[in-house]
Amino acid sequence: MEKRTNSPFPHRDRPILALVGLLLVIGTALFAWSDRQHDWRYYQYQFRQLVAEKYGAEKASQVPAGIQQHWIADLGRADRCITCHQATAWKGFESAEEPWRTHPAVPLKNHPVEKFGCTSCHGGQGWAIDSDAAHGQVAHWEEPLLSASLGEAYSLAAKKSALVEMNCNHCHRYDRETPGMDEINLAKKLVAEKGCRACHVINGRGGTIGPDLTTVGDKAPEQYDYSRLSGQKTAFAWHVAHLKDPRALVEDTVMPNFHLTTREAQALAMLILSWRREELPAAYLAGAPRTDSRTVAEAEQERGLESGPGAWFVKTGCFVCHSIQALGVKSPAQIGPDLSTAVEDVQRRFGRTVDDFLREPTGTMSVVLSRQIILTPEQKAVAVEKLREAFREYQRQKQEGAAPANQGGAGH
Amino acid sequence: MAESLSKPSAPASPSAPGVHPRRFWSLSPRSDRQAGDAVVSNFLLHWFPAKVQKASLEWSYSFWLGTASAALLLLLILSGMPLLFLYVPSVERAYASVKDIEYVVAFGSWIRSVHRLSAHLMVAVVFLHMVRVFLTGAYKNGVGQGQRREINWLLGVVMLLATLFLSFTGYLLPWDQLAYWAVTVGTNIASSIPWVGPKIRELLLGGRTIEQPTLIRFYVLHCIALPGLLGVLFVYHMWRVRKDGGLARADREGHLEKKAEQSASKTKTYTLLGLARGTAPSIRATSVEQPESTVNAVPDLVRRAAIVVLGTLAFVGILAVLIRSPLEEPANALVTPNPAKAPWYFLWLQEIVTDTTLHIGSFTVNGAFLGGVLLPGALILVLTFWPWWDKSPAGSAGWWLPKSRRTQNAVFLAICLGILLLTVIGTFCRGPYWQFFWPWETWPEIPGRI
Repeated sequence: MEKRTNSPFPHRDRPILALVGLLLVIGTALFAWSDRQHDWRYYQYQFRQLVAEKYGAEKASQVPAGIQQHWIADLGRADRCITCHQATAWKGFESAEEPWRTHPAVPLKNHPVEKFGCTSCHGGQGWAIDSDAAHGQVAHWEEPLLSASLGEAYSLAAKKSALVEMNCNHCHRYDRETPGMDEINLAKKLVAEKGCRACHVINGRGGTIGPDLTTVGDKAPEQYDYSRLSGQKTAFAWHVAHLKDPRALVEDTVMPNFHLTTREAQALAMLILSWRREELPAAYLAGAPRTDSRTVAEAEQERGLESGPGAWFVKTGCFVCHSIQALGVKSPAQIGPDLSTAVEDVQRRFGRTVDDFLREPTGTMSVVLSRQIILTPEQKAVAVEKLREAFREYQRQKQEGAAPANQGGAGH
Repeated sequence: MAESLSKPSAPASPSAPGVHPRRFWSLSPRSDRQAGDAVVSNFLLHWFPAKVQKASLEWSYSFWLGTASAALLLLLILSGMPLLFLYVPSVERAYASVKDIEYVVAFGSWIRSVHRLSAHLMVAVVFLHMVRVFLTGAYKNGVGQGQRREINWLLGVVMLLATLFLSFTGYLLPWDQLAYWAVTVGTNIASSIPWVGPKIRELLLGGRTIEQPTLIRFYVLHCIALPGLLGVLFVYHMWRVRKDGGLARADREGHLEKKAEQSASKTKTYTLLGLARGTAPSIRATSVEQPESTVNAVPDLVRRAAIVVLGTLAFVGILAVLIRSPLEEPANALVTPNPAKAPWYFLWLQEIVTDTTLHIGSFTVNGAFLGGVLLPGALILVLTFWPWWDKSPAGSAGWWLPKSRRTQNAVFLAICLGILLLTVIGTFCRGPYWQFFWPWETWPEIPGRI
């Protein structure tokens, strides 16, 4: 073998290469370890212990392990709170410490977690799986958990956990009063009593002297002037102070001082911050009309139909196709013949009595009565009775020689 | 002897000549044939020269910044691959997908940190690589035939710009406030170019506001167009390094006091993997250095390259555990963070832009044209053509701060330090309303919502 070039490098570089190798091993161990460092592993372990104590080892083995989440596609929320708060859906941990406590049943009954998730009510950062980040107590997360301890920090005059009502009001914004939302209810009452709408547009309606408050909850916290505010520099604190004494924060304001109590000012601040441009599917909005609008005359007419002599035909659904002119019922569609003369008409058309026809209908009515309006034999008897009544009324009106009572509306 | 050595591999020798008998190359070849095959079938041996100047390998000469930036590019590609599978380039989902990468993807937070840190480091290391090449005059040609080292300098300038643009396009993708407003500031500077500025901004953004068209443009540029460009340029850059002779500096033999003894033949026989025989492959010499000033590429160059590449991997890997990547609030066009800053490597420009924007009465002198267009444009122009304007003697190349290049090095260093100073001021000393704060001074409290 020929001798290689006499190189000074090997004995200097080999130890460095070995050191680099060592660093790579350390780095690998470090990142593998750091990825496993999560509190939820401890909380899940503890919860399994609690379940084992209470319900036995077999139940405990059914407790899911690993990251858990509620994915609410409608709201675009992935709430991983249940990774630590595993007991929320379990019975029997009502008095346990957090995060192993059962969720109170009342709000969940009308707000199933599969439809609402956790953060749409409670706030916080659903994506996160570590407690500080998940509770929103980190930089760059503007929606903190609306917890009792946060209420404590603001020395809420009402229940310390009341801040959560702000999020309730995203959906319940158009309610006059909502059970369980005492502070927001109080604030809504104050808005009506103090006449805020005299100067402010609220929910799209009101005066133009003050700023429009419809989506004031979205105003960025940086956009308030804090120079005269002492204490916490938050939009909430600003509103509380401003409501108590507007002139103390905005020198040249024309907003009067309403001499609100602390509780009232805090309730109003919560209401104001809840007025946001939340993009909610229509199905989530409480109190929003879910049907076509009606004119006053249409509503009046409908009420009349429901309480007039033809009320039975309206409630049963016959009037969808049939008018009953003798009883003042006018069908919106008028597809079928007038039922005032049904007793006579059926005999003429089908050669059968009304009783017989209703028992075994033919044609369109056989479809309607087997699929859409299903009547028991007793109800059919009532129907025949009602049809006879209508026919008697028709004959009476005819005898009187008066014009049919279809023009005077219902009930005359 | 050659016959006796090749005997053990005889049974494995192929029936067809020219077919490599072994699938993998060996570090300890047992015949000349195996050694030759190793050179042909191993990319590193093919890529690296047989002999390297000792001076080129010195840590304190090049600091191996070029290799480090290539290692960072490798890391960026490796860490970018999983992110490609996880990130969703849509305005509605981008932010949430990054949150998922941060919180629930296995090692996701680490992978994203590796990607982000590598990107920031690459901008810095590529810039320092350029500074080193300038100060040592490594773009100057040596004595070898056909050397065009100035072409590689030109490629390097384009690659620096590509690196900056790659980093800038990646900045928008998380779709948070930082991303949105950094890109707002960056593209507003571009729009101050006379006549065509607004058009260029519109072309970049795919509209007049930063929206879905912007995101998809930046995404495609970031993931396909610019990496492709950088990859092609990188390959050419490396090819030119080999063609031009010498690695971190040109062969200097021509400038030595005493010429090295030249063999009669212009071809030299080098030992490859420690083997050299009369029938061994003859390599045409690309290095004309004296034998005692060179070492074998294998193992000395390979080992050092391994140290730098693996060392960069280890450094970034550990740093990524310690430094997590920030993700601010979701992008919001209605709320401007105060201060809104461009990415740090453009902050020297933003600093100049704000310092040269003057309000005289009702007139506003717009600094964006000076700071955003004129100055960087002039600098890039000078950088591009400097190898042709630099008339210093060839002997001044390959040394740090030679006397014959004192003036140009001083001016260059002054400009670099100026850029560095402005970058530091912009990054650490600028608070709300672009007011000056010392790093130890606290900014006014940033208010929260609740």
